[in-house]
Amino acid sequence: MEHKKEQKTSATSFSDEIRSQLGGETITLCYQCGTCASSCPVAKTTERYNPRDIIRLSLLGEKQEVLSGGAIWLCSSCYNCQERCPQKVEIADVIYALRNIAIKEGHIPNIYSEFATGLMNEGRIVPTSKFVEKKRPEYGLPPLRPAGLDAMKKILAATGFDKIQWKKEGTP
Amino acid sequence: MEEAKVGVFLSNCGKQLSEILDFKALTEHVKKVSGVALVVQGNEFWRGEGLKTIVDAIKSKKINRLVVAETLPKLSEIAIVKAAEEAGLNPYLVEVIDLKDHCAWPHRDTPSEATEKAKAMLSAAIERAKLLEPLEKLEFPAVKSVLVIGGGIAGMQAAEDLADLGFEVHLIEKAPFLGGLAARAGRFFPTDDCAICIQSPASDVKAITHTSRKCVYRSGFSEIPNLNILTNSKVVKVEGVPGNYKVTIEKKPRYVDESKCVRCDLCTTVCPVEVPDEYNAKLKTRKAIYINTPPVHPPVYVIDESACKFQECAKCVEICPTKAVKLNQKTEKLTLNVGGIIVATGFKEYDPSVIKEYHYGEYPNVITNLELARMIDGFGPTNGAIIKPSDRKPAKRIVFIQCVGSRDRRWNPWCSSICCMISLKNAMLIKSAYPDTDITICYIDIRTTGREHEYYYEKAREMGIKFVKGRPTEISHDPDGNILIVDVEDAILRRFFELEADLVVLATAMVPSEDTKELAEMLGIELDQDGFFKEYNAKLRPTETKIRGVYLCGGATFPKDAPTSSLHAHSAAVKAAKFLSTGKIIKDQRTAFVNEEYCGDCEFCPVICPFNAITLVPKGEDHFVAQVSDLKCEGCGICVGTCPVNAIELRHSRPKQMEAQMNALLSVNGTSKPLILAITCSECGHTAVDSSGMAMMQYPANVRVMKVPCTGILQVHQFLQAFKAGAQGVMVVGCKTDGCHYEVGSQKAQKKVDLAKVLLKEYGIEPERLEMLHMVFIEGDKFAEAAQMMTERIEKLGPLQLM
Repeated sequence: MEHKKEQKTSATSFSDEIRSQLGGETITLCYQCGTCASSCPVAKTTERYNPRDIIRLSLLGEKQEVLSGGAIWLCSSCYNCQERCPQKVEIADVIYALRNIAIKEGHIPNIYSEFATGLMNEGRIVPTSKFVEKKRPEYGLPPLRPAGLDAMKKILAATGFDKIQWKKEGTP
Repeated sequence: MEEAKVGVFLSNCGKQLSEILDFKALTEHVKKVSGVALVVQGNEFWRGEGLKTIVDAIKSKKINRLVVAETLPKLSEIAIVKAAEEAGLNPYLVEVIDLKDHCAWPHRDTPSEATEKAKAMLSAAIERAKLLEPLEKLEFPAVKSVLVIGGGIAGMQAAEDLADLGFEVHLIEKAPFLGGLAARAGRFFPTDDCAICIQSPASDVKAITHTSRKCVYRSGFSEIPNLNILTNSKVVKVEGVPGNYKVTIEKKPRYVDESKCVRCDLCTTVCPVEVPDEYNAKLKTRKAIYINTPPVHPPVYVIDESACKFQECAKCVEICPTKAVKLNQKTEKLTLNVGGIIVATGFKEYDPSVIKEYHYGEYPNVITNLELARMIDGFGPTNGAIIKPSDRKPAKRIVFIQCVGSRDRRWNPWCSSICCMISLKNAMLIKSAYPDTDITICYIDIRTTGREHEYYYEKAREMGIKFVKGRPTEISHDPDGNILIVDVEDAILRRFFELEADLVVLATAMVPSEDTKELAEMLGIELDQDGFFKEYNAKLRPTETKIRGVYLCGGATFPKDAPTSSLHAHSAAVKAAKFLSTGKIIKDQRTAFVNEEYCGDCEFCPVICPFNAITLVPKGEDHFVAQVSDLKCEGCGICVGTCPVNAIELRHSRPKQMEAQMNALLSVNGTSKPLILAITCSECGHTAVDSSGMAMMQYPANVRVMKVPCTGILQVHQFLQAFKAGAQGVMVVGCKTDGCHYEVGSQKAQKKVDLAKVLLKEYGIEPERLEMLHMVFIEGDKFAEAAQMMTERIEKLGPLQLM
């Protein structure tokens, strides 16, 4: 028997958006104990990154601040926070989910745009430089094999990677 | 059986109903139904003159079946049945229906359709009444004796209450001394009075020495008449039925005769064996012959058999002036005959050594709150000094960590509810005794919800105890200076701290006691998802279990503070006393019975019965048959719905009675809409229909309601039977699957409905014609809406084509 379903508003909240992403499902369990922050080697070295803050801001709907603030790119993926979280919030995975949303919405740090461009143009994240080409014979190494650009392009097309607007201005 | 002579009594409820229902037509209709000997109309039949009319009809007109259409059947039925019984009619031959909330009010917009439905409801009640059989009131003997399992605060309170009320009480405790967890805690919050009280609760048995009602240490717990205290004992087997249990107890030897020991302490002076004292957090050693702490009950030494050298040494035997030491004592097995059992097994501290980042068990200066409590206790291992266990030097900087293993989905997801107060208490006791101690409490949330508890928290802040809102990630040890470093972020300041500490105290989770699971299996009662004992109904029956005669109290159901445990214990004692007070248990006979000829000993019913009422008994060679205990059976009928060969029936809800009722309900339509049968359980399902009527929510009169004890009684073929009898759609309305009054009935019914849908499809019938709903009493709106939607759905599907 069908019953009245709760009407979802068309504008879903930011936390719902994160939860619908792979890795973002557990974000709402957070009770702000700070175990993640005190576990985090990055948070200890810079005030620009605090995982508890990122989760708090996300749950409060501060989407622009989280996506364009630059902090989400500083996670070193050590997963210490995730191992120790008493609520099993998959914090590092939440950060990945946030990065995916940020990329979709064009908040891309320049270095990631460069990686992406390199991958699409040459099949490599770091393009081969004249320096490397010159140095390898000196080390007795053969020239670098060309990257499988055709295969790479197929993969990038199949995953939708090449559809992403990688060039955006004003992002850190 | 004598021929049925049905008397039908139609109440107009003042004049409310005749404004909607055509009473003249109803009377004419009823008169024509075979077996009806009398039809009476009136304003009310459950009080005064109306009730007298019923009594007269039974006495003078020889009416032997009653059908009464009356409002508020939950109330009126009681008075009617009682009067009928007094007039000489078997009370189970009465059928009361509600023409107001089930017909007139929910269909007031369509009065002529309502009248047609009322006719069907009356016919159904008459047909059912004609097939009802007289049942007896059963009486079982009950032993006026109670077993209380667990000698902590709750068990002792319950035992004392019952003994004072004159019951024979056996209190068993698995440890050698009474007192449980609370006795080790030293002091109680929020009053800071001593926990020693609980070793002898507020018994009225007191010495002549002046003793106030508050100081309970000096009261004479062991001198309470009717109370048999068995320490070092545990339950190993439970047999029998409520009111009459045979419980086997294993009593480990104490090796000291309780009646002879005078507590002179000479034995400990000669005992050569020293072992770490677990009771006192291993902060001191004790001898192989020992007591936990001086104020202890029973005030008798005990020998630790894992440490004692027995005959090789026997120095204690030689020195004992009263010859109390008995090294040849053996484990005894005792059988107790009791009527009821109270489970008061409490809870225990979680072992935090699994939480590797806190290094409990590895760093000696990381301890638990209970271990700290032993230090604070003047009788404890340090005589009240707060020390670092590693070097026994005073601890000057102490950090508490809250929620260790609690509210942590990796270990125990629940809030242990008392640890905030315990930490505050311990912190303040230390701070008052040693004001220069630096104390920090790291917390996630401080939960101080009891009376005066918030003042306690205020006082702690006033005293200068520091609070950091943050859960530390790790404790590390700096061997330089033997200090601990607690790594925490203060979430408010957004700053990281490395707190230096001499002592770190873990406020560890409280978890179910050992052997909880085994005991639950022996008693046939449930545990909740966290492994604590589960009450039958936490709100209304907070000390009862689904098994009559087995009660719960104290921390066995969840961690509790001392006042709450006491309350719970007194409540359990009252329930047990009420159950056993008359020495007999009266129960009705609406129970299941087995037709042995058909029973194929498939073992389905003994497994499914939520009340363990069915056993398999041998019948001839290599053959067993199911047998139902009338005492244990609660009359849900889930076994009936489960039996694959229809060998079980439930008295008062037999298939032939249900079939006749169903056929009559569906015999008249009187509306232009397709007939729909709503089969409800008599608990939430039926009351949800009541509540939609009470609130005058409108739904179409083509929806007919039939009540069964629990939807678990239904069998797949009964859904098909309903379609055959004329239903175009069938709704099954039961309790929420996790709120079924018979535990699994609603969930089993759902499975059968799902299965029947598959079958319907095979037969070419749209499965959407059958639906199960789960609701609670106050969801009348949900029922009305569902009835409306089901009608629309069936109208869309068109008439049912049966092959």
